[in-house]
Amino acid sequence: MMVARSGFRIVQERIAALRRAVVLEVEDLNRLIYHILRAGVVLSVAILLFGFVLVGLTGHPLPDRSIPPRALVKQLFTFAPEGYLSLGVLILIFTPVARVFLSLISWIRERDRIYVLLSEIVLANLISSLFVLA
Amino acid sequence: MSIAVLLILAVVAFLAGLGGSYLGVGGGVFLIPFMTLALGVQIKVAIATSLIGVIATSSGAASVYVRDHLTNLRLAMFLEVATTLGAITGALVALSVPGEDLYVVFGIVVLYAAVTMLRVRETARQRAYQAGDESPLTKYLNLSSVYFDQEDQGVYRYRVGRPLAGFGISAAAGVFSGLLGVGGGFIKVPAMNVLMRVPMKAAVATSNFMIGVTAAASAFIYYSQGLVDPGLAAMVIIGVFTGTNLGTRLLSHAKASNVRFVFSIFLAALGTAMIARLFFPGVLP
Repeated sequence: MMVARSGFRIVQERIAALRRAVVLEVEDLNRLIYHILRAGVVLSVAILLFGFVLVGLTGHPLPDRSIPPRALVKQLFTFAPEGYLSLGVLILIFTPVARVFLSLISWIRERDRIYVLLSEIVLANLISSLFVLA
Repeated sequence: MSIAVLLILAVVAFLAGLGGSYLGVGGGVFLIPFMTLALGVQIKVAIATSLIGVIATSSGAASVYVRDHLTNLRLAMFLEVATTLGAITGALVALSVPGEDLYVVFGIVVLYAAVTMLRVRETARQRAYQAGDESPLTKYLNLSSVYFDQEDQGVYRYRVGRPLAGFGISAAAGVFSGLLGVGGGFIKVPAMNVLMRVPMKAAVATSNFMIGVTAAASAFIYYSQGLVDPGLAAMVIIGVFTGTNLGTRLLSHAKASNVRFVFSIFLAALGTAMIARLFFPGVLP
């Protein structure tokens, strides 16, 4: 009984320590940005590799033009390799946008008004570049 | 594009990522001459592909500097207002001018990059805090910062000087990024280091951080025009990603000065070839 109880306490302490570490990790904006950028690239590379596996399996010829996002969803459902290659590329392009959005939220929470404004301008520039010629 | 050509491109992107993260010059200045001169890729497609590579470099390798608190996040956000506007302008200009003009401008810019690569390393004395008046804008934006230098285990506090001049130069760097598909680090890093008095390592880290958002702004425009070739872009992402991962690991224990010199000569040759292509049509692809 004693052994079980002390064992339980050790597990509880471990969990508490782990939670503190996670909170510390998330609280730090630098760490958060690092993780989001890393995750974006790794996800993008994984999808691209999957796309190339599909190219090998289906023997589809590769496209030489970017695929409009509207046509993308259909291609993902039919497992067309060019759809997955384009998705991987798009995820990579959107990663820095996600980073700016994250900084914006962090500065809103810190009530840093001038940097909320600056990151909103950068975000507005990025969004306008999405639509300027579309 | 055949699979063999794509694999060669992946290897070159790997080398560009390796050299880029190792030497602080982004992959674009190597990738675009290779794609246009050796693979015969149309220059605007090459620029779009290179922009994707720039984003991969920024998100993959430069994020490590963010984790290590080398990057000045406030300074980056302030200057990104300028670089994103510049990048949109640059991309719109690139789409409206003939490709031949872009070759020449690119050649000149690459030659300039070759020269800036030869810059010397800074000493601890140069890194040290320089007293002086902080401009009102720097104070208002709270731009000054500290960073920890792993090399000599020192903490360096620095004041950011001339924020408006830096803002202007960043806008110009953004234009070049959108126009030519390069990161523009060879413009921003000297400007931040000399003009704004940001220590070299913090300047490199902040510049590498900014190029991702800058390139994304113009990449959207190139993408909407159908200029992003998914196969080429995919190979460049995979190559650059693996290359930069290795490069950042090598960086910690290696002497870069000799490699830097060789790469600089190589860049100068590439720039000359890009310009020469115009005067001797038919000799080069």
